[in-house]
Amino acid sequence: MPKDELKKYYDMLELPSDAPLRDIHNSFLRLKKLYSGDSIVLAPLGEEFSEKKRKRVLEQIEEAYLKLLEAKKDAPSRTALLFSDGHEPEDGAERDKIGDAPLTGPSLRKLREKAGVDLNEIAKEMKLRMELLKSVEDEKYEALPEAIYLKVHLKNYASFLGLDPVRVTEEYLRRYQAWKEKTVPTEK
Amino acid sequence: MTQTTKVREGEIWAVGGGKGGTGKTFITSSIGTYLAKKGKNVVLVDMDIGGANLHSFFGISRPLKSLTSFFEMGASLSDLVVKTDLDNISLISGDVHSISADKITFSQKLKLFRQIMKLNAQNVIIDLGAGSHYNTLDTFLIADRMVVVLVPEVIAIENMYHFIKNSLFRKVKKILKEYGFKEIVQHIWDRRQSYGINNIRELIDYLKDSFSYIGTILDHELAAFKVHLVLNMVRNNNDILLGASIKSVMMKYLGVPIQYSGYVEYNDAVWKSVRERKPFMINYLATGCAKEIEVLVENVIKGKEVSLPGGY
Ligand SMILES: Nc1ncnc2c1ncn2[C@@H]1O[C@H](COP(=O)(O)OP(=O)(O)OP(=O)(O)O)[C@@H](O)[C@H]1O
Ligand SMILES: [Mg+2]
Repeated sequence: MPKDELKKYYDMLELPSDAPLRDIHNSFLRLKKLYSGDSIVLAPLGEEFSEKKRKRVLEQIEEAYLKLLEAKKDAPSRTALLFSDGHEPEDGAERDKIGDAPLTGPSLRKLREKAGVDLNEIAKEMKLRMELLKSVEDEKYEALPEAIYLKVHLKNYASFLGLDPVRVTEEYLRRYQAWKEKTVPTEK
Repeated sequence: MTQTTKVREGEIWAVGGGKGGTGKTFITSSIGTYLAKKGKNVVLVDMDIGGANLHSFFGISRPLKSLTSFFEMGASLSDLVVKTDLDNISLISGDVHSISADKITFSQKLKLFRQIMKLNAQNVIIDLGAGSHYNTLDTFLIADRMVVVLVPEVIAIENMYHFIKNSLFRKVKKILKEYGFKEIVQHIWDRRQSYGINNIRELIDYLKDSFSYIGTILDHELAAFKVHLVLNMVRNNNDILLGASIKSVMMKYLGVPIQYSGYVEYNDAVWKSVRERKPFMINYLATGCAKEIEVLVENVIKGKEVSLPGGY
């Protein structure tokens, strides 16, 4: 994406152009809430604040959010972005090491916390139960739904955090399946 | 030379915001006291003609001199400066009964502005009082540091929007007048419906699009129009976050960038200090309020903004 186009999206989310992923999430959630409801900050604008204009602002905020997530995804390592506050690490080896760490439940939690994202934010945004997300991070496999459902949830979770959804689901499900085979012997 | 050309070294702050009772005078006196304690030479000017009470915040019951002499006898402003009990800080009282703010003539106003700019002080801080009268707005516009104080409630926010929009409107008019386009702004504004213009931002955009020469001038001159927002009497994190929402709305709806420079908690110590007739920033230094005032002054000076609670 060209630099000035990127800047436009950062401006829309009221962020500096080097804002880390965490700030992009937080700004998005804050602005979405502000322009979705009837805030006492909007009420006094009267005729200057038309419904049409408000909807347009909301659309722009959502567009900016999606574009910025996408832009972050194009970067060499999404995981590294989370670790380094949006600045790419100088040392490529270091970046790969972080990027290749096995993605377990606890390591996902670490990434999320590094990004400064609250579980209940994800729960709200992705319309998921908190308990479910907690179980994912705790690897409480027995509390998790069938793989086909779990896959969808994991994809949502990963993309919210700007992680690679394919890698997250694959690695997580591999461990989940391994557990399942051990504990619930499948009938042959 | 234009009216806004500054022939001085000091820095002028103006504190306004539209609504009455939001804490403008308290904030003015506290900013002043803090700067004085930092070693700056400070003069406070009470421009709340008719409602002047800045002197009370320093325990002065009846100031010996006031702006009355300026308006009635043509006394010079620098002769009306009254000392306070504190080092480095003195004030000019607005305790004027013979004239109301809206009766100030154009030439009196220009003379007043000229003399304010020449006051012998490193920091001049003007308490504008309530309201959005054009004399108040014009005084706001001479400041280097424009501060609006509001409280977290809908009427204060409404008045503040009005105050800032009208300030900007006057600023645009003034700029264009200096460049010899005096009538055009009002002319277009009066016909805004037929131009499809809804607000000051759209007016500015229309002017820029239609007259590229004016566009260049406005871009250049309006870069200095930077309003600092101070949220007073906050009681929780949601109140603090309102400042960020206001900033967002100002930008997205009115295209006016503002700085969310600070907030001050609600604290009974404020009215206590007023009742005790002692400067707040001296007697209640340990309160959250006092710390927040220090932070807000530093933010204004350094162009920094509030760091929002809760990871926002
Ligand atoms: N942070 C605060 N906490 C508690 N009380 C406050 C606070 N700030 C101001 N007050 C109280 O609010 C009242 C109004 O304050 P102040 O006189 O500074 O407002 P103002 O905006 O100057 O009013 P006016 O528009 O009448 O000039 C005072 O009684 C003051 O003690
Ligand atoms: Mg006052």
